[in-house]
Amino acid sequence: MATKKIKPKPILEQEYCKGCGRCVIACPRDALHISTKINPISGIFPAEIDYEICNGCGLCVAACPEPYGLRAGHFEGEFQLEDPEKLFGEKQTTAPKPINIPSELLDLPESEPFIIKGTYAAAIGALLGGCRHFFGYPITPSTEGTELMAKVLPKLGGVFVQAVSEVATVNMMYGCGGAGLPCMTFTSSPGFSLMLEGVSYMISAQVPGVFINIMRGGPGLGNIGPEQADLKLVCRGLGHGNTHAIALAPSTPQEMLDLTMFAFQLAFKYRNPVVVMGDGYLGQMTGSVQLPKKMVKTGLPEWAVYGDESHRKNLIASIKLSEPDLEQHNIMLNKKYETMNTNEQRSASFQCEDADVLIVSCNTPAQMAKGAVQVLRSRGIKAGLFRPITVWPFPIKALLPLVKKAQKIVVVEASNGQLEDEMRLALSKAGVYRLPLIESIRHFGGVLPQMNEIIEKIGASEEVMS
Amino acid sequence: MNGVFYEKFDRHAHGEGLKGHTTHYCAGCGHGLAHRYLADAINELEIQDRTVAISPVGCSVFLYYYFDVGNSQAAHGRAPAVALGHKMANPNSIVVSYQGDGDLASIGLAEIMQVAQMGIPITVIFINNAIYGMTGGQMAPTTLHGTRTTTTPDGRDVLTGEPIKMAEIIAGLDGSVYVERVALFDNKQRFRAQKAIKKGLQIQMEGRGFSFIEVLAECPTHLKMNTSNAENWVKENMVPIFHLGVLKDTGKEPWFELDRPNFIPEKLVNAIGGLPEKAPRFCQAFPKHIAENDIALKFAGAGGDGAQTAALLVTRAAINEGFDSTHIPSYGPESRGGTSYADIHIAEDEVLSPASPDPHVLVAFNAPSLAKFSPMVQNNGIIIYDSSVISSIPKLDESIKIVGVPMTLIARELGNAVVKNIVALGALQEATELLPEDSILTAIRIALRDKGELIPLNEQAFKKGKAAAALPRN
Repeated sequence: MATKKIKPKPILEQEYCKGCGRCVIACPRDALHISTKINPISGIFPAEIDYEICNGCGLCVAACPEPYGLRAGHFEGEFQLEDPEKLFGEKQTTAPKPINIPSELLDLPESEPFIIKGTYAAAIGALLGGCRHFFGYPITPSTEGTELMAKVLPKLGGVFVQAVSEVATVNMMYGCGGAGLPCMTFTSSPGFSLMLEGVSYMISAQVPGVFINIMRGGPGLGNIGPEQADLKLVCRGLGHGNTHAIALAPSTPQEMLDLTMFAFQLAFKYRNPVVVMGDGYLGQMTGSVQLPKKMVKTGLPEWAVYGDESHRKNLIASIKLSEPDLEQHNIMLNKKYETMNTNEQRSASFQCEDADVLIVSCNTPAQMAKGAVQVLRSRGIKAGLFRPITVWPFPIKALLPLVKKAQKIVVVEASNGQLEDEMRLALSKAGVYRLPLIESIRHFGGVLPQMNEIIEKIGASEEVMS
Repeated sequence: MNGVFYEKFDRHAHGEGLKGHTTHYCAGCGHGLAHRYLADAINELEIQDRTVAISPVGCSVFLYYYFDVGNSQAAHGRAPAVALGHKMANPNSIVVSYQGDGDLASIGLAEIMQVAQMGIPITVIFINNAIYGMTGGQMAPTTLHGTRTTTTPDGRDVLTGEPIKMAEIIAGLDGSVYVERVALFDNKQRFRAQKAIKKGLQIQMEGRGFSFIEVLAECPTHLKMNTSNAENWVKENMVPIFHLGVLKDTGKEPWFELDRPNFIPEKLVNAIGGLPEKAPRFCQAFPKHIAENDIALKFAGAGGDGAQTAALLVTRAAINEGFDSTHIPSYGPESRGGTSYADIHIAEDEVLSPASPDPHVLVAFNAPSLAKFSPMVQNNGIIIYDSSVISSIPKLDESIKIVGVPMTLIARELGNAVVKNIVALGALQEATELLPEDSILTAIRIALRDKGELIPLNEQAFKKGKAAAALPRN
């Protein structure tokens, strides 16, 4: 090598120059000026360098806002062979192909049942499902789940963050989920409303995450009693745009655990948020809960933006500027929703095979209805309970054969027909236009339909009919 | 080039034509400079593989077009929250939240304040050009007094507020360790800006905390000036309001270290309170003398009476005996003020209706509770009440058994009013024979296994309550 250092003179790619003139002002020797000739490719008057005057001080390079405008040159006389692949496209980044580290199932020791609240059961379900990252804002009646996570996660090398708001919460989940790790929150209706913008972003950017919404009385601040009036939000209004997410509706503390654990599996399977909807009763109710046989050890998906070499290539984003691109993106998402609809419908039926009166209900009201069915059967009324476990997608496949036999459907819910609307829409889409009589038992504002009420209402009208 | 910029900007209109190698920024825009300095710093610090860049909403929404690093694009204002999510997921990653003045200083104020106050080691690059660029020249929170924008057509005035000085605010929070305001209007400022951005990243690499670099940038388009005049405008108009220099550099020692998540089944089981042990069973059959296969109980009192704890003990005992049982703090329009109601069900197979609107058994700790719920008790039901605080008994169906026990008095005699609820359980035992005595006592002992010294007191309370309920009544 030559011992005499010659400062490299800058290289100016005129077609990439926007002619802003920052370099012209920056140059202490007036070696740069704006050309009087328009560049035929860019249509702009670019900068021009007089290499006779330039001494290679580099100030112009530091003043150029364009990555490929003014660049520091090479040492004179030095020749560097460029990688042809780099010159001619194909390889725009040196980042390696991202790898997928699959999650594993580990054995859990056998035990007697836990006797815990529904929110605790859901928190334990999340831990068993591999979740070690929690973001949340305390809101009654979901706080016990949040508190348990605050207590337990540090013992498991996990992270608990109390966010400044539900808006911050959902965006922390966007970051953590975007990094490829399972994360969750506990919230209740007003908090869930606040999260919806972020849920829309997560759906578009295909970020998994689990939301436990312990629904309370609304609208507005309402109260902290149990309600089911967020079904509309979850099924039809997950923020702006064409959005959907699987919505699970547990009806016992055991299901709070099982379905929350399952929610993580679904969230990663579809790269989509999953909502577990409990009513305020279910969140607070203590019951017997058996642990499953296995727990999940989390892996790292190939699409993650984890901040390591293997995943450098990745992007989590929800913006598609060109309309055809965004339409294609929507078509892709819609196909995904259709796959969910095909594969993930879940429901439970209780004494439905020969039911004349079909009760449709979910969450705690479904438990009440189950009790009512037993009493009605003992009185000779052929009642049955159809319980959607996924409210979206609505389990229409399982409902159809029952509807054909039933003389009457009674929808029991703590909302003004939000579950009934889902059912009616699903029936309509399935081409069922001749419906049996549809009645309803509805309560609002923190009051749940009670077993005796269901028995009385169905019992009375059936006796009149017979 | 340093390799931190993509060789071709494929995400910029599919890299077609000039867009493959030029940014989307207007001529003379300050963003391009900040991008170059950030790319240079990432390159010099050799952190390209570890970097996650958060694109905000605003002109720099397309940061991810250019940087060959992990990229995440956030909702408007939420970049610090997203950054925190990434940093918590991988503490070894280097997370950069790149935000404009609308994003950071308006819609995203809450998020930047929290993450700065927490002191989480991320690096925020805050581009302040005193105007909304992407939406087309509206007032920013940093817009100078008197500046005409499309939403302050007569100039920003007293009604629209004064420019917000974010660097000063962030420096005032305890969580930030390094805050500097730099500019781009001449060679000297650009040199400082380069240094500051690099330093902000270094501080994050060392795990020392939150770093914040405010960059006064030119927006020639919306200032309606050429680059030269825009540079001068920043120097002459912005700098007197937004003083340049280091606002904070605490020299805080490295502290940020997070455990890595573990997935060891034994640890998880311990963390959730250990596996429940198999409790001995004492029950021969379901207590059908109270109800056929589902018994409803209600414990009602004021907050502090211990109704919920007592209810939980009954539920635990019942489940230990192999029945299904639920406990729920009662909701409903009647729950107001400092009341505390617990609904319990014990079912031979499955509890179907966890509420107890018409219980078989009522335990009332105060007069309002007795007055409210005793009319709902089923015929042939049982009512147990605290006779130390309740004097008048409502008239009820004759089939209902009513047992008064001076719970508060007995508990006080034992020296601890808190065990009133255990006295109640003893009375419940005598009056109902719901479950074998040992079932309840076992549940009490298990609940107190970490406070063994309290077991004798509780056992005594139970016994006294039982004995008091056995006394003949008139």
